[in-house]
Amino acid sequence: MVEHRIPENLNEALKLLYHGDYQVMAGGTDLMVQRRSLSDTPLDFPKNMVYCAHLQELRGIRKEAHRVEIGAMTPLEDLLCHPDVPSLVRRAIGEMASPAIRHVATLGGNIANASPAGDTLPVLYLLDAWAELRSLAGSRMILIRDLITGPRALKIHPEEMLTKIGIPEMHFSHETFVKVGGRQADAISKVSLAAAADIVEGKVSDLRIAFGAVAPTVVRDETLEGAWEGATLSELKVGVWRLLDMYVPLIRPIDDQRSGKHYRHQVALNLLRDFIESLSEPTSEPGR
Amino acid sequence: MRDISTSVPKTDHWEKTAGTAKYVADLAPEGALHALTFRSPIPHGEIRSLVLPDLPEGYASVDARDIPGKNGVHIIQDDMPVFAERTLRYVGEPILLLVGPDKTVLKRLLSAIRLETVPLEPVFDDRRADVWHHYVKGDPDQAFARAKRIIEYEYQTGLQEQAYLEPQGMIAIPEGDKMTLIGSIQCPYYVKNAVVPVLGCTSDKVRVIQPPVGGAFGGKEEFPSLIACQAAVAARKTKRPVRLIYERPEDIEVTTKRHPARIRLRAAIGEGNVVEAIASDIRLDGGAYLGLSNVVLSRSMIATTGAYTVPNVSCSGEVYVTNTVPTGAFRGFGAPQIFFAVEMFFQHLAKDLGEDPLAFKLRHLAKQGDLTATSGTFRDPILVPKMVKRALEMSDYQNKTRRYSGESPYRGLGLSLFFHGCGFTGSGEATIIKAEVQLRKNADDTVDVLIAAVDMGQGAKTTLAKIVAHTLDLPLDRVRFPYPDTDVVPDSGPTVASRTVMIVGGLLEKAAQKLKARWVSGVAVQLTERYQPPEWIKWDEKAFRGDAYPAYSWGVDVVEVSVDPRTYQVKIEGTWSVYDVGKGIDERILEGQADGGMTQGLAYGYMENMEIKQGVLRQRNLTDYIIPTACDCGPYAVEWVENPFVYGPMGAKGAGELTLIGAAPAVAAAIENAIGRRIRKIPATPESLLELIEYGKR
Ligand SMILES: Cc1cc2nc3c(=O)[nH]c(=O)nc-3n(C[C@H](O)[C@H](O)[C@H](O)COP(=O)(O)OP(=O)(O)OC[C@H]3O[C@@H](n4cnc5c(N)ncnc54)[C@H](O)[C@@H]3O)c2cc1C
Repeated sequence: MVEHRIPENLNEALKLLYHGDYQVMAGGTDLMVQRRSLSDTPLDFPKNMVYCAHLQELRGIRKEAHRVEIGAMTPLEDLLCHPDVPSLVRRAIGEMASPAIRHVATLGGNIANASPAGDTLPVLYLLDAWAELRSLAGSRMILIRDLITGPRALKIHPEEMLTKIGIPEMHFSHETFVKVGGRQADAISKVSLAAAADIVEGKVSDLRIAFGAVAPTVVRDETLEGAWEGATLSELKVGVWRLLDMYVPLIRPIDDQRSGKHYRHQVALNLLRDFIESLSEPTSEPGR
Repeated sequence: MRDISTSVPKTDHWEKTAGTAKYVADLAPEGALHALTFRSPIPHGEIRSLVLPDLPEGYASVDARDIPGKNGVHIIQDDMPVFAERTLRYVGEPILLLVGPDKTVLKRLLSAIRLETVPLEPVFDDRRADVWHHYVKGDPDQAFARAKRIIEYEYQTGLQEQAYLEPQGMIAIPEGDKMTLIGSIQCPYYVKNAVVPVLGCTSDKVRVIQPPVGGAFGGKEEFPSLIACQAAVAARKTKRPVRLIYERPEDIEVTTKRHPARIRLRAAIGEGNVVEAIASDIRLDGGAYLGLSNVVLSRSMIATTGAYTVPNVSCSGEVYVTNTVPTGAFRGFGAPQIFFAVEMFFQHLAKDLGEDPLAFKLRHLAKQGDLTATSGTFRDPILVPKMVKRALEMSDYQNKTRRYSGESPYRGLGLSLFFHGCGFTGSGEATIIKAEVQLRKNADDTVDVLIAAVDMGQGAKTTLAKIVAHTLDLPLDRVRFPYPDTDVVPDSGPTVASRTVMIVGGLLEKAAQKLKARWVSGVAVQLTERYQPPEWIKWDEKAFRGDAYPAYSWGVDVVEVSVDPRTYQVKIEGTWSVYDVGKGIDERILEGQADGGMTQGLAYGYMENMEIKQGVLRQRNLTDYIIPTACDCGPYAVEWVENPFVYGPMGAKGAGELTLIGAAPAVAAAIENAIGRRIRKIPATPESLLELIEYGKR
């Protein structure tokens, strides 16, 4: 028999994780599906469960100097409408699931689930977001892109919990998030692109590109991005084919029941090309 | 008196919105056992050995050896066994049930069954034809010999899952030598007539009760007979009630789906670009067992010239058997496949001949008095030209098509013309169904409608009661339509084929007229009305010749789409439909049929994708089998023209299937026009559009 515990506070939750073999249950929107069992029978949990979605210490959005901090158990719907949450994150969340699911699904859960198709991940990679991992022994920070090592694989110790997500403040003249699913809502991504650029005085001062669902983890390559630093906008546009070529080897999607390799590959490149071609000299106050 | 089309609240509205309606899964008779099914893991092979784990007290296995009667499910062809005996013919074929009080224990026991098989070569293509028909109209050979030009294309359609809200479920309750079945079903008497020979009992020993049904779309036409037989055998063996309730993944994997089709059409083009003849070859994938595939094929074949009059026809059709999950009834029943093919074919013929597709179609459109493809007669007025005119106005068709006329504008309109033959195909109503209805007037001057028709969400409970109330001039709340129970109601036939309002409603109208003539307040009386075919209906089953249906409903759909040039995703920008269903019995219920049919039909055309690889379904739940959400529906505009049918109640014809049929060809034509590439296969998924854009014919 597995045990189900509802702790009163974070410390109690961390104690359970430290002393026993527990798994964190946040909103449960991934877990309840993964551990589905026949109706009217107990869920098929192999481990003890600690329920944390209600813990106030892990919920909320706080604006700090040059960053915003988000409690791991904050429901996605809260982020969707919050002015301090970066617009790219909100855009990704706006494309996720359905309102009902978004009211219980958490940001921490989307990260810790580490699905190649997790929709906040490309955006969080792009924004250099980090996670705070906490255990009774203390806490540490790690970039989300370093935390996730593969599908459903994380560099997190069994006694640790993801408690907080930090997102540095950034400035872009152009940004986009495009999700390609099987329908307009409530669909798992076949491929996605998060991209942002800051064009200052006709030059690329910052270019960031992250693809979802085209490889075991989100594809982001800072070396490739850096190569365009300082290029003029027209150099970038003329060089779009070269840029795409550079990404070809990194985009290694699979064939599965939701889509095909060839489609995912081609669409990923199309989306990037479209983003580059849409870039223009910013005229008014850049969007956030 | 109010116009009958004026909407009323559905009579079962409250129990369904309040959540008090008890569906089969909500029922747990005293002492009921659960049942789980052990299934074939391979597409084709023989059982070498099967070893069960030790079953604890109170648990039992139930297989073919426990069947007191015949091991075959009575559908039309009775080729499907209740439980596989030696040969396994598809992945998921039922071999036995495990029954017992605790589902968790059952699940563990199920995984402990040891099955050894000898695999046989599976067949997944169309080499094993099992049913073959052919018919001719006019002199097609001569027409082809004289043709100015011959054009030929092949069209393909895929699987489609009904995706009703409520999965399949059945409960069998033994009481002495009587067996009662309660299930999510469309056809109480189909279930009864299937269970009787399996139990080997007399007809009075089987009773079937229908609780509220949460959607069916044809998926609960014949499939429930299979699980009813299984549950009944299990209940007979254990002498306990047995609940056989499916959950979504199992439901998707093993229940019937729409027949995939490969349709080859060849046209003889004569002077003035007139289609003088069509030769067609229609192949439907029946899956592992034929069941009612034969009748699905008939419906496809009968509509082989679509909404058009073609003087010479040679049509052959076959159902082939494969080692995949059986296909079966699904809203439209063979018509969506053939109308997709014919509508695209006429668009492609027009393009090849350098004509405007709409003008080309209208020139060939069937008119009142014309011969149908099977040499019957379109007896009633055909209002399609007027309906097209209205659909063009509503959609601003002419202006928009002009505006989107570039090479590949990524935006386009498509238009389809279609009909649906109402009621059973051919002489089925007279020879197979022989429907009977009863009205019982009680002493308190209320009236009970005694029929076996099922309300599965389509509103039959309301529309049929309305017809009776209207005819008797009674308030609706004085007419009751209880849930069917075969011990109480006569066999008014299955709830299928858009026959319920037209045929059953027509009988009820007649019965109500007779009741009205005999009405004496305070006196109870019961009367029966039986189906009489209109005497002018002549159908030769063998030759496929004559009037295949007593009446036809007609439709025109215009669909506008945009296609994302980066992702090839299709967005429905709007749809405009005009339907002729004779006379609407309730406007809001009709709108429900129109919106639902459009959504399901559009998705059949561009979204719902189901593949089988080596006999194994790839999309096995509603995460992977994508059906539309509200966000995917464009604005739908719908209008109705009145065209009363003399034999329908108040002039009504069938409406439930019609609204699905034109959507797929209209959306496919719209996508074709948007991307400037020919579409000959649905679903036209983004993945397939990419391929077309790379390699397709302009
Ligand atoms: C209908 C439906 C639609 C969906 N649509 C989308 C979509 O469009 N895009 C998308 O990306 N996802 C989608 N999902 C998946 C899911 O909703 C998201 O991944 C969600 O963010 C998961 O959050 P949760 O709180 O529910 O996680 P849970 O299910 O509670 O947990 C997920 C995993 O993370 C672990 N975990 C959670 N929180 C922590 C923590 N703080 N510390 C350590 N480990 C933790 C859990 O142990 C578990 O392994 C959908 C799900 C459903 C059911």
